[in-house]
Amino acid sequence: MLEYIGDIFHHFVDPKKRVFLGYIALSILIAILWLVFLKKKRLKSAIFKVFDKKILLSGSAISDYKMFLINRVLMLILSPYLLTQLAVATFFYYSLLSIPLSGLISFLNDTPAIVVAILFTFVFFTFDDFTKYWVHRWMHKWPVLWALHKVHHSAETLNPITVYRTHPLEGILFSLRGAFSQGTVISTFFFIFGDKVDLVTILGVNFLVFSFHVAGSNLRHSHIDIKYWVWLEKILISPAQHQLHHSLDERHYDKNFGAALAIWDWIFGSLHHSEDIDNLKLGVEDNDFDPNSITELYLKPMKEISDIASESLSSLKSLNKIFKI
Amino acid sequence: MKKLIVMIVAVFVVTEVAAHHFYSKFPITLKGYTGDKTNSVSYSGQIARHVLHDSLKKLAGKGDGGSNAAEIEAQMMKYFKGSKEDLDIIAPKTKGDFKIKQTTLNQISKGKNLSGKTYKGVINGWPGQMTGPEVIEFMIKKAARTKGGFDPATGYNYPQLISKFAMGAVFYNQAVDNYLDEKMAPGSKTNDMPYKDGAYYTYKEHAWDEAFGYWGAVSHGLGLSAKQNYDITKMKDMAAADQNKDGVVDLKSEYNFAHAYYASSFDKGGKTNYYNTVTQAFLDGRKIIAGAKGEKLSSSEKAALQGHIAVINANWEKVIAESVFKYAGSVYKDIVKLEENYSDKAFSTYAKHWGELKGFALALQTGKSNLGETAVKLNRLTGMGPVLMNASQVTGVDSAGNYIKEEAQSWGEFKLHMLKIQKLMVEKFGVKAKGNDMLADMSSLASKVGSSDSAEND
Repeated sequence: MLEYIGDIFHHFVDPKKRVFLGYIALSILIAILWLVFLKKKRLKSAIFKVFDKKILLSGSAISDYKMFLINRVLMLILSPYLLTQLAVATFFYYSLLSIPLSGLISFLNDTPAIVVAILFTFVFFTFDDFTKYWVHRWMHKWPVLWALHKVHHSAETLNPITVYRTHPLEGILFSLRGAFSQGTVISTFFFIFGDKVDLVTILGVNFLVFSFHVAGSNLRHSHIDIKYWVWLEKILISPAQHQLHHSLDERHYDKNFGAALAIWDWIFGSLHHSEDIDNLKLGVEDNDFDPNSITELYLKPMKEISDIASESLSSLKSLNKIFKI
Repeated sequence: MKKLIVMIVAVFVVTEVAAHHFYSKFPITLKGYTGDKTNSVSYSGQIARHVLHDSLKKLAGKGDGGSNAAEIEAQMMKYFKGSKEDLDIIAPKTKGDFKIKQTTLNQISKGKNLSGKTYKGVINGWPGQMTGPEVIEFMIKKAARTKGGFDPATGYNYPQLISKFAMGAVFYNQAVDNYLDEKMAPGSKTNDMPYKDGAYYTYKEHAWDEAFGYWGAVSHGLGLSAKQNYDITKMKDMAAADQNKDGVVDLKSEYNFAHAYYASSFDKGGKTNYYNTVTQAFLDGRKIIAGAKGEKLSSSEKAALQGHIAVINANWEKVIAESVFKYAGSVYKDIVKLEENYSDKAFSTYAKHWGELKGFALALQTGKSNLGETAVKLNRLTGMGPVLMNASQVTGVDSAGNYIKEEAQSWGEFKLHMLKIQKLMVEKFGVKAKGNDMLADMSSLASKVGSSDSAEND
C-alpha cells in the first residue's frame, strides 16, 4: 500500500517532472523576486500574493488536486499498456535498417561523441516541443479533441497542479505523441551515430528540460504574470503568455499553443504577446458545464464526443438519402 | 586429546560439506556387486569426446591452403571417427603453470569417437540436406583445404563452425535427447540392473553420469565462482582447477568443457546462474538415484528426477540461445565496422563471429524438441553463409559438393536480421545475459529520457 502511495506522489521528488519540489521552490523564489523588484511590492505582501488562499484553495484548485490523485492512479494502471518510445524507436530502427542509406551517411561516422550528444539533446527537445505545439493546436481546433482539452481549460484559477487537470483520454493521446516524437528521434540518431548517442543531463534530466523548469515553468499555471521582453516572447513563452492562452476573452482564443518555445506560434501565426491586464478571467464559456464537478470533468467530454459522433452519423445518413433521391 | 577430537570432527564436517557439492563420489549401489570398486561415478568416455572435440577444432585451423590438405583431413578424421592407435591430445594442452595431467586420449578412455554419437537427423540450416555426421565430414574436408581454417571466398570459418555445431550435435543432443530422455523413460532398463554386464554401476546411475559428462562441468564447480569456472577453461586459474592439489589438472574432473564453460561465461556477468542451476540439478538427480540403493526407482523418485531433467533441458538450451544472441550482436557490430572501413582483418573477424553464430544456431536445433517455426526463422535470418563484400552469399551446394553463391541481401538488411535473431532468442528462449545486446544502448537512452505516460498538460 505504502508503495502505491509513493508511486502516486513520486512526481514531487522526480527531477524529470515539472512539479518536482525543487522546481516549485525555485518558482516561488522567482515569483517573490519578480513581485518585490519589478512590481515594487513589500516582501510580506509578495509572499501573501504568492500563497493567495483564494487561488490555492479555490473550488477550481480543489478539483485540480482531486484530478491529480485520480489521474495518477488511473495512469499507474494504464501505463503498462501504453505504447512506449522504445517500442516506436525499435520499430523505426528496424525500418531504417531495411533502407540502403548507410553509404550516404557514412561521412558522419567521425563526428565526435560530444557533438553527437549535444546535437541529440537539442534535436530531441526541439522536436518534442514542436510536436507538443501541433498536438495542442489540434486539441483546440478539432471538436472531438476540444471536448477533452476543455477539461484543462475549465480551470478558473491556475496553480502548478493544474497541469494534472487533464482528461485521461487526453493523457493517453499525449503519451502517444511522446512515444512517437521521442521514438523517432532516438531511432534516427542511433541509426546515424550508433552508440555515440547520449543525452546531456543535469540531475539525470535533459539539460534543456532542466533549464526550462529551473526558469520557473511552474509559473505558467499560476497567477503570477511574469512577462518577458518582446523579442524573448517570440522565442520562449512567458508565464503571462500562457496565462493569456487560458483567458476567457475572445481576443486570446487559439493563441500561444507553445509549451516551452514560442517560435512555433511565431512561425505559424498564433503568437500573442503578454499584456497588462488586472484580474484576467480564465475558464471556458459553457453553460452546461460545472468546472468544479469531478463527475462532469470526467464524463461530460465522453457525452460530448458521443453527441458529435451521432451528429456526424446522422448527417452522413441524410447525405445518403439525398444521393438516393 | 580434546583438541585432536575437535580437529578430527572439524575435518570430517568440512569434507562432508564439501563432498555435498561435488559430483565425484557416490557409493556402489548395484546389488550383487562383489568387486573392489567403491565409487559408482563414471563418465570418462564423455571427457574423451570433449578432448576429441577440442583437438578437432584445433586441427581444423592447421591447413596451409592446399598442400597439406590430405594429411590434415586424415588426421581430423581420426579425431572425428576414432582411431585404433592412441591419439595425442592436441587441445587442451599444458600452458605455462597450468599443467594438464593427460597427454594422450587413452589415458582418459579408450576407443571413443564423435561420429557415432553425432545427431543423425537432417541439418536443415546447412546447405545440402545432410545428416549431422555428414555435415561434420563435409566441413572437415573443406577445412583441410583452407589456410588456417578460413575460406575468404565463402566467409566460412571451419574451426568455429565445426566446434559450435559439434557441441550441439554430440554433447547436447546425446545428453538431452538420449541419456536424459530415452534412458530415463519408462520402458528403458531399470535401476536394479547393471548398465551392462560386468558393470559396477546401475543403469540409471551411469546414464545420468554420462549426461553430466557431456555437460562438461568440473566435479567441484558448484563451490567455485562463475569467474573461477570461466578462468579454468581459459587456463588462468590453476588454484581453482586443481581441486586435489596434486599439481596437475585432471581433464577427467578438473576442467570445464563445452557448454558448461559457456554457461560460466554468461554467469560471470551476474544476470544469470546457468552453470550452478544445471550442475545442481545433475547433482540432486544423482543423489535421488543413489538414494534408491540399487532398487527400481519409485514413482515419486522418477517424478523428482523428471523435475531435474526439465531444469537441465531448459537451462542448457538457454545457454546455447544466449550464445546465438551474443554472436548475432557481434556480427552486427562487425558489419558496422566493415561499412565504415574495410580491411581483411575486419572481414575475417566478421566471418569468425558469423561461424560461431551459425554453429550455435545449428546446435540449438539438435535438442530434444523440434523448434518448428523458430528453427525456420533462425535459419533464414542467419543465412546459409555470411553476406560477402561483393554482396553475394552461399545458398547451397551442387552435387559435386561445390558451394553455390547467389546475390545476397543488402548489408542493412543483414544487420536487421541480426537484431531479429536477438529478438527471437528473447521471445522464444527468454535469454537474460544478453551479451552484445544491440538495442541495449537504445533502451537505456529511452529510460534516460523518461516516459511520457502521465496525464499532464503543458
